[in-house]
Amino acid sequence: MKKTYLRQSFDTGIIFGIVHIFCVLIAFNAMLGSLLAKIVNVTSSLTSPAVGALIAYAVILGLWAGIASALRQRELSDGKRLLASLVTGSSSGLLAAVLVGIFQLMLILNINPRDYLTNLSLPFMQACLYSLPGLLGILANFFTFLISAFVGGLLVVGWNLHGFASIRHQINNAPKNWIAKLRSGSAKKQLIQKYVFYALLFVLIAILPLEWGSYWNYVIGTVGLYVIMGLGLNIIVGLSGQLVLGYIAFFAIGAYTMALLNAPIPHNLMWGFWPALVLAILLAALAGFLLGLPLMRLRGDYLAIVTLGFGEIIRILLNSDLLTSFSGGPRGVQGIHGPTIFGQVFSDVNYMYLIILAVALAMYVYNRLQHSRTGRAWLAIREDETVARATGVNTNKYKLLALVIGAGFAGLAGAISAAMNQFIGPGDQSLMASINVLCEIIVGGMGNIPGTLLGAFALKGLPELLREVENFRMLAFGALLVAMMILRPEGLIPSQRPTLELPEETPPATSSTLTDAAKIKPPEENPHD
Amino acid sequence: MTVAALTGYFLEKIAYRPLRKAPRLVPLISAIGASIFLENAVELLFSPQLRNYTNPDILHRGSGWTIVINHSNVIVPYTGVFSFLLSAILLVIVYTIVRKTRLGRAMRAVALDKKTAALMGVDVDSTISQTFILSGALAGAAGVMFGIHNGLIYYYTGFIPGIKAFTAAVLGGIGNLPGAMLGGMFLGIVESVGPAALGIDFQLKDVLAFVILILVLIFKPSGLLGESLAEEKL
Repeated sequence: MKKTYLRQSFDTGIIFGIVHIFCVLIAFNAMLGSLLAKIVNVTSSLTSPAVGALIAYAVILGLWAGIASALRQRELSDGKRLLASLVTGSSSGLLAAVLVGIFQLMLILNINPRDYLTNLSLPFMQACLYSLPGLLGILANFFTFLISAFVGGLLVVGWNLHGFASIRHQINNAPKNWIAKLRSGSAKKQLIQKYVFYALLFVLIAILPLEWGSYWNYVIGTVGLYVIMGLGLNIIVGLSGQLVLGYIAFFAIGAYTMALLNAPIPHNLMWGFWPALVLAILLAALAGFLLGLPLMRLRGDYLAIVTLGFGEIIRILLNSDLLTSFSGGPRGVQGIHGPTIFGQVFSDVNYMYLIILAVALAMYVYNRLQHSRTGRAWLAIREDETVARATGVNTNKYKLLALVIGAGFAGLAGAISAAMNQFIGPGDQSLMASINVLCEIIVGGMGNIPGTLLGAFALKGLPELLREVENFRMLAFGALLVAMMILRPEGLIPSQRPTLELPEETPPATSSTLTDAAKIKPPEENPHD
Repeated sequence: MTVAALTGYFLEKIAYRPLRKAPRLVPLISAIGASIFLENAVELLFSPQLRNYTNPDILHRGSGWTIVINHSNVIVPYTGVFSFLLSAILLVIVYTIVRKTRLGRAMRAVALDKKTAALMGVDVDSTISQTFILSGALAGAAGVMFGIHNGLIYYYTGFIPGIKAFTAAVLGGIGNLPGAMLGGMFLGIVESVGPAALGIDFQLKDVLAFVILILVLIFKPSGLLGESLAEEKL
């Protein structure tokens, strides 16, 4: 028994050590360092990070390792858990020490690995050694991990001590108590609460776009467009269960329709915003129909790859020279004219209102569809297509319908985006954008509106705030996708499957199979046999 | 090849194994996430710039044997022949492994029915890990061949060949090794000759590849040489 837990904590340490090596090699520690340095107002950069920032990063990682290791050994005594965290700290510290040992060697021999690994410049390596000479730097790395892991273990053990029981209970139950308090109260109070909430929301929506400046209008506007796309993709993936990876193609079709009908080059047809918008939605929906028609038979993974291929086809076609005269080629289409109101071209505030209206419309359509017969058909298809078919649901029709409507949403978003940015180019319509939208609904929660909103804000709004992290954004995306699938595949806000509502049955007062069996009299024995 | 094999091993361990029992979409999304992660990790580790391959002198890029067809010179490049021969050798090796060895039998058994294979004494986890290692190694070799032949690589180069690999596998029939080789060759020929033959741009050769994928999946989901896994399993 003793051996197992020591071995486990050693392995945990090795894993954290490998993660640490990876983070150092991609200069993640330097980036975290510069983030932290901004808070404390010290200069630090990716190429010559401040030593304190690197130590802070190592401490955080070490704490995490210690906490993870101690948490893992839930049933063991406190002393053993501390020992576990110590072992973890030492093994990850060992790996860290080896890494900086190699760095030290390279510094001494003056080898510059810049050709192979871009981040290992000489100042960087020196900072990783905490600017301490020779052996001291290596030992410092080791002990940072060891000590912070131990502290992490102490934290876990301390948290579980009896003295803290009451505080711990309060903290653990606080959210639950709070929500219960909100939900309680008479029906009238509930109604008033609801009205107040919506009134506040309305006021906010009406006033904020005027107040907060064009940068925020742009950011939240983009988020709004992503919400529309998220809802559309949610119809296809979340509600009806078909994984479509080339979703951005429909966005592109919508955007290009708006662009080509409203820009001076390449064709000078000034159709105006609104007719072009309607046509954009229709064309995107038609594309969804045409794409879906031959693919109805395909199984999930194959459907995904084929739609991925379709998305790429659209991108390559738009980028090619073949269609340049038609669609503007790699340079895209510029100078798209937006809508006008009272004779004036839309300002960003007006666009914001337009987007809010579009989002509201999309949410309304989505909600009505979700709670309709069509929505239930989609749920049936998603859960088990064969059974759905067997119970009489026309799967082909509903799958196509999902594609068409979802594509229409994307067309709407694309058209508005083209008009808002006054430019559209084939570079935006890449696979990454499709995956962005997919990420958004997976992380937020598939199949429901609050999840899509959350996902859109998290994945579009946050990076705008965290500009520093730009390099690591896609890396984080990938890791986040994998982690979410392993830990919480239903998303942050899982969709509530509508449960069948049966009338309340009053069960008999006492009911068990035993009493029921006792009530059954054995057949009367014929006394004459 | 070793690095790619190791990557395959860790990939399976981290991103696929916990999800063995999950519904179909979940491992697919996890795979996408893992692929994004790996591509960007490579971008961060080695810079996002294009990198050059310096071939050993035998395989100098661009030179080869000259054949005269119809009074014009056609160059058969050394790198091309090298790739072709190497892939033929690798195919023979993999075919032998899958058909003749215990591991191969285990792989085929697990592919047919995981639970029964486990009942028969096959270590499912280990077999799947070894499969990923093998396929990772092959992919690594392919990457090297790609680099030797084309000379320029960057972190995103693998994406389109990955999709084409899927196309080739589907073309030949999933699960069918000679089919995959045939599919690959077919796809390669179509991509090289197609645009010129059909009179469209060379940029659109990827489009041609995808169109072929779609057509094959619609009309013959079991592939040219056939295993039927593309249609709904009833």
